[in-house]
Amino acid sequence: MVENRPFLTFLAHAVLILGVAFVALPVWIAFVASTHDQSTFLSGSMPMWPGDNIWETYGTILGTGAPVPGAPPLTLMLKNSLVMALIITVGKIAISILSAFAIVYFRFPGRVLIFCLIFVTLMLPVEVRIMPTFKVVADLGMLNSYAGLSIPLIASATATFLFRQFFLTIPEELVEAARIDGAGPMKFFRDMVLPLSQTNIAALFVILFIYGWNQYLWPMLITTDEKFYTVVMGIKRMSDVADSDPQWNFVMGSAMLAMLPPVLVVIFMQRLFVKGLVEQEK
Amino acid sequence: MAGIKLSAVKKIYPGAAEPAVKGVDLDIQDGEFVVLVGPSGCGKSTLLRMIAGLETVSDGEIAIGDKVVNQMEPAERDIAMVFQNYALYPHMSVRQNMSYGLKNRKMPKAEIARRIDEAAAVLEITPYLDRKPRALSGGQRQRVAMGRAIVRDPAAFLFDEPLSNLDAKLRLHMRGEIKQLHQRLKTTSVYVTHDQLEAMTLADRLVVLNHGRIEQVGRPLDLYRRPASTFVAGFLGAPAMNLIEAEVSGGALMLAGTALARGLQAEAGRVTAGIRPEALRLRPAPGGNFRLDYVEELGGSRIVHGHIGAQRIIAQTDLAQELSAEMHAELPLEELHLFHATEGHRLSMGVSQPAAADPQLVGA
Repeated sequence: MVENRPFLTFLAHAVLILGVAFVALPVWIAFVASTHDQSTFLSGSMPMWPGDNIWETYGTILGTGAPVPGAPPLTLMLKNSLVMALIITVGKIAISILSAFAIVYFRFPGRVLIFCLIFVTLMLPVEVRIMPTFKVVADLGMLNSYAGLSIPLIASATATFLFRQFFLTIPEELVEAARIDGAGPMKFFRDMVLPLSQTNIAALFVILFIYGWNQYLWPMLITTDEKFYTVVMGIKRMSDVADSDPQWNFVMGSAMLAMLPPVLVVIFMQRLFVKGLVEQEK
Repeated sequence: MAGIKLSAVKKIYPGAAEPAVKGVDLDIQDGEFVVLVGPSGCGKSTLLRMIAGLETVSDGEIAIGDKVVNQMEPAERDIAMVFQNYALYPHMSVRQNMSYGLKNRKMPKAEIARRIDEAAAVLEITPYLDRKPRALSGGQRQRVAMGRAIVRDPAAFLFDEPLSNLDAKLRLHMRGEIKQLHQRLKTTSVYVTHDQLEAMTLADRLVVLNHGRIEQVGRPLDLYRRPASTFVAGFLGAPAMNLIEAEVSGGALMLAGTALARGLQAEAGRVTAGIRPEALRLRPAPGGNFRLDYVEELGGSRIVHGHIGAQRIIAQTDLAQELSAEMHAELPLEELHLFHATEGHRLSMGVSQPAAADPQLVGA
């Protein structure tokens, strides 16, 4: 559309600015809250500009942890979250790309059945199967461990399905050319499928990392040891104190820091993602 | 280098009503350029893919050189294939594309580099060696695909409609290059196409396929001059041969009450007459048997559409030919082809027809 109407331009910008404000304002308020001390927040009037308490707030939550029972230092929780999210992401991608490869490129008995089974599990989120899963993990002695935090979340029907759809778009002739060039199945996987899937892997990495990072219910269930608390459940614990007012400056500070890694992943992966999109040709 | 021998090769797809290839015997000599041609669905690609090892052979035997290759993987058959869609690896540079098959065969690096440089020089793609396929035009990609085949130095090249994705001008050009390349390398080649012109110009020997069976095998000119059936007759040549229903009586070919040719020694009865458009002799004659419908100008010649009786006939004439609404059409006897009216196979006419001569090169 090539149109030049000042009013439309103005309208478009107004809508966009409004949209940005909707999304960004709560984040700004959270940041402002984390820079004031406890009493300012509870006085009833919320300041719109950062205060001078910023170093104290972030120093405390990163160093010793908020003065709330069951809130270990944020650095530990950030590390736990990071480890969990990375294991989930890498595990999900590795398993789903291999299973999609098997489903698309190999003819074995029950192939369709297996694909259907994987597809059906798309409809079952963790929450539905949480009791049996907990039982299995508990019996295997994986409570309070990184393995317990991540392994049950690794199987991914969505990613398998996405990879399958992508593999189906790789031209048959490419597969045949590789066969004539003497590439066996695993060589074909390494030399063709992996490099061609780069873009998909980057996109899935972003989505799955955020999925892993935001896990709340599962870590809550299987960790009782503070050493394995993740940052999302940590925030919940801080705001959920029994006999006193929650210390909002610490809660908001933690929330700000918890937001950082996913943001970094998005920014960094976005580049790879776009680069992949631009380089790919069909 | 080696010949390829097909013995009673069949392909039956599971669930298909009839076999895709119904027992093909073909002996391809070492260094020969054989073109498989036919309409879509005639089994030509299936046949090629069986030679390549991309399809299993349902029955019969395929031998490359003196080895039966039925059970071998494509990579073990010592063949290289050029695909219709080029099938270049999109994430690799031209050089990597060409070296991939050699690396997989554990060839020393120096030898790989030497072969790539050599092939790139022949195909004139040296400046693009470090580009990715997406930065190349269609013709350049086709060259790279051929380069990938050449560096392998295989026993046979297999071409699967390699030019059909190119525009008409480039196709003509690449056709010439493939011909020259074959003259230089003298590698056994099997080439699949549905384009009869491509088939005629490239082939040492032409194999016309129809419904999974070989209709006729021979040198392109022999097939053009003496098609064994109406199918081959109608398939080769552009504009296509006129195939008209006529009658032989009293040694003349009768059509709508007039004699088109005389002096035949064929059995009387209904026949299908094959007449090349360029063989028909026309002269303006009021009340003649040929009624002119319309004329197409080709520049160097004309295509004259008309009818004799109720049957449409086309003739190709030179520009000097006078035209009028009613003309007399006649045919030299040696240019007439007779086919069985229902079975479609060629009938003898008792006149000797000259076999095609090889092109004579002066001073060769």
